[in-house]
Amino acid sequence: MNALGIIFSYSEYENLRELTKIRTLASIPFAGKYRIIDFILSNYVNSGIHDISIITKINYHSLVDHLGAGKEWDLTRKIGGLRILSPFSTPGSLDNTGNYKGTIDALYKSMHSIKRSMAEYVIIAGSNFICSIDYEEVLKSHIERNADITLIYTYPREGEILPHGAAMIRMDESERVYELNYNKMDSISQDMPVCMSMFVLRKSLLESLVADSIAFGRYDFYRDIIQRLCGNLNILGYEHKNIYFEVSNVTDYMKENMKLLDEQTSKKVFEKPVYTKIKDSVPAYYCAGSQVSNSIISDGCKIEGTVINSVLSRGVIVGKGSVVKNSIIMQDTEILNNVTLNNVILDKEVIVRENRQLVGHETYPVVIEKKSII
Amino acid sequence: MSREKKKEMIAMLLAGGQGSRLGILTKHVAKPAIPFGGKYRIIDFTLSNCVNSGIDTVGVLTQYRPLELNSYIGNGQPWDLDRLFGGISILPPYTKSKEGEWYKGTANAIYQNIEYIEMSNPTYVLVLSGDHIYKMNYKMMLEYHIETEAACTIAVLNVPPEETYRFGMINTDENLKIYEFEEKPLHAKSTMASMGVYIFTWEKLKSYLIADEANKKSENDFGKNIMPMMLEAGENLYAYEYKGYWKDVGTVESLWESNMDLLDPDVPIELNDPPWRIYSRNETLPSQYIGNNAKLNNVMVSDGCSINGELEKSIIFPDVKIKEGAVIKNSIVMQGATVGNNTALNYAIIASDTVIGDNVCIGAGAAMGPDGHHPEITVIGPYITIDDGVVIPAGAMIEESIIKKEGE
Repeated sequence: MNALGIIFSYSEYENLRELTKIRTLASIPFAGKYRIIDFILSNYVNSGIHDISIITKINYHSLVDHLGAGKEWDLTRKIGGLRILSPFSTPGSLDNTGNYKGTIDALYKSMHSIKRSMAEYVIIAGSNFICSIDYEEVLKSHIERNADITLIYTYPREGEILPHGAAMIRMDESERVYELNYNKMDSISQDMPVCMSMFVLRKSLLESLVADSIAFGRYDFYRDIIQRLCGNLNILGYEHKNIYFEVSNVTDYMKENMKLLDEQTSKKVFEKPVYTKIKDSVPAYYCAGSQVSNSIISDGCKIEGTVINSVLSRGVIVGKGSVVKNSIIMQDTEILNNVTLNNVILDKEVIVRENRQLVGHETYPVVIEKKSII
Repeated sequence: MSREKKKEMIAMLLAGGQGSRLGILTKHVAKPAIPFGGKYRIIDFTLSNCVNSGIDTVGVLTQYRPLELNSYIGNGQPWDLDRLFGGISILPPYTKSKEGEWYKGTANAIYQNIEYIEMSNPTYVLVLSGDHIYKMNYKMMLEYHIETEAACTIAVLNVPPEETYRFGMINTDENLKIYEFEEKPLHAKSTMASMGVYIFTWEKLKSYLIADEANKKSENDFGKNIMPMMLEAGENLYAYEYKGYWKDVGTVESLWESNMDLLDPDVPIELNDPPWRIYSRNETLPSQYIGNNAKLNNVMVSDGCSINGELEKSIIFPDVKIKEGAVIKNSIVMQGATVGNNTALNYAIIASDTVIGDNVCIGAGAAMGPDGHHPEITVIGPYITIDDGVVIPAGAMIEESIIKKEGE
């Protein structure tokens, strides 16, 4: 496909507490063995796009470590391939701080790399929405409908609270976007479509829009391009009707992970292959006396205790007599004997020693930072 | 420009065997490509031993049904064997200007690839077979080979006296210098059996391969021809004692047993060993899902599985679906298979992508098997369908689908 993929590995509106303290949004573990970036990259690869740039801002070591040379996503290429664009500051400029003022600033400072691509179109994606989408279809509709920018949107699920910072749009009957607003409070608004932070446009248009905005000191893609220019540009919506997950705060993160315990949901998410880093871990082992129900378990886990309604990443150990309920346990975390966990998120490489009890609530899970010993 | 390209030791892996005693399991694939241990293939153990021992050049000699093995090996990337100089090469027999023939024997297979070996200009050549389960550091064996100044070092393990008839036995003096070979003797003088792992000093091996090829009566076999010839010529041949776990998976029984060994904490084969990982080609599959009614008791389960039945002492490969009410005991279910509702499996091997219907009973009325340790193993071949309600007696080997006719 004649398109360049651009991924923002971070979000300016997230509240993931300890989870993004040491990593960028895109490298948060999700659905057991995956990271959020796996779903986003797999969408591109499954749509035939093999030329991808990832824009990073801070704490992206874990992302670089996860992606390596992009081999597992079939992105180690001579033509195109994966590029991780680390923060860049223009030499000689006044703002030589290496920090981006906004999404447009980030694009501007990555322009040398974007310009190098021979692709005609760009497909931009953020890291806060996880879904399975065919970009080929989106691009087809973009060309057919003669759009300047195609914005992918969806309707919030019934009764769910729209997170702070969600970009709500208004469209006319031909799906032309004429208004965009940020959600400023946790409100329930079911009929208001929400932008899924994915856009399609011509690369040449992106280049001139970015140059123009920078000249006027405008830095926010939503506010300064979509919101400001929706009167002049033909910005069209494209509805994503399939299932999606949104990760912008810890409660949602927990809830969205738990949705994957429904087999129908997980079937839809994994209809097309989702690629991830290969760890060469052994198959999961369930000892005599273990009790596991309604849970996602990954390779390399060793379970002696009880696991209920939980999601376990690779290499998790659950000791004898321990009970893990409604929890998310990340890679290589060790839970020793007779531990009780309920509504807890344990980050990577945590050790929970014998007889400890950690209990959170559905609406406010306990989050334990990477490498903690409890 | 003369940059010398040289490897100290390269490995030649014999992977052309059929393994006919495995029946339907090797009907479509060579023995080294048989799935093993949840997510591996048998050849993964030898390949991983090579890379973990620092060997980065491996020639895989294929002959019998190589297609699946070829595509499994690919460019060797899963084993870190995609290298600028060296790496993995698949070596099938090929035609030469005037003649060209199949590999006649193990030694002939190496003989036909002398040119390949010389491309790396090695000092030593490690000859392996691709059908054994073990973890071994060949680097230590090479150190021993250099220390003893041997022309050939043979890895040996101790076997019980009643099993010597299955192996090539080796008799040595107290310094482990070999003075005699006995091929599958009923009453052996020693308990040292050859593991099919040899290190040769390449210059020596090359001359004996050429001499052996000139002898029209030779069977061109390492154990039967090359080694005895070297011994006769007065070369130094040494045995290298290996003390770990080793299993030849040549029969249905031994394949089942060595899989079950992985579930037995008393058997010294640990796969979860980060400094000595067993690498394999991984499928793109999500994490496994364990349902509400699942019971798992001493079970290994791989990626992509959905488990809703009761499992005991079993090994489940990737992407297997086990439905509610199914009871699986002492069994191996290979990749992509489905086991229906209320189906019972006992002492069974279900091959890849086979669909077992509801209320099926496999391994019914299990009688004690030939070795008396466990009941007979039932084997259901790959890519077939067993219809609802079918009963398959213990010890059967099913090669074709069993579909009930209308009205039955």
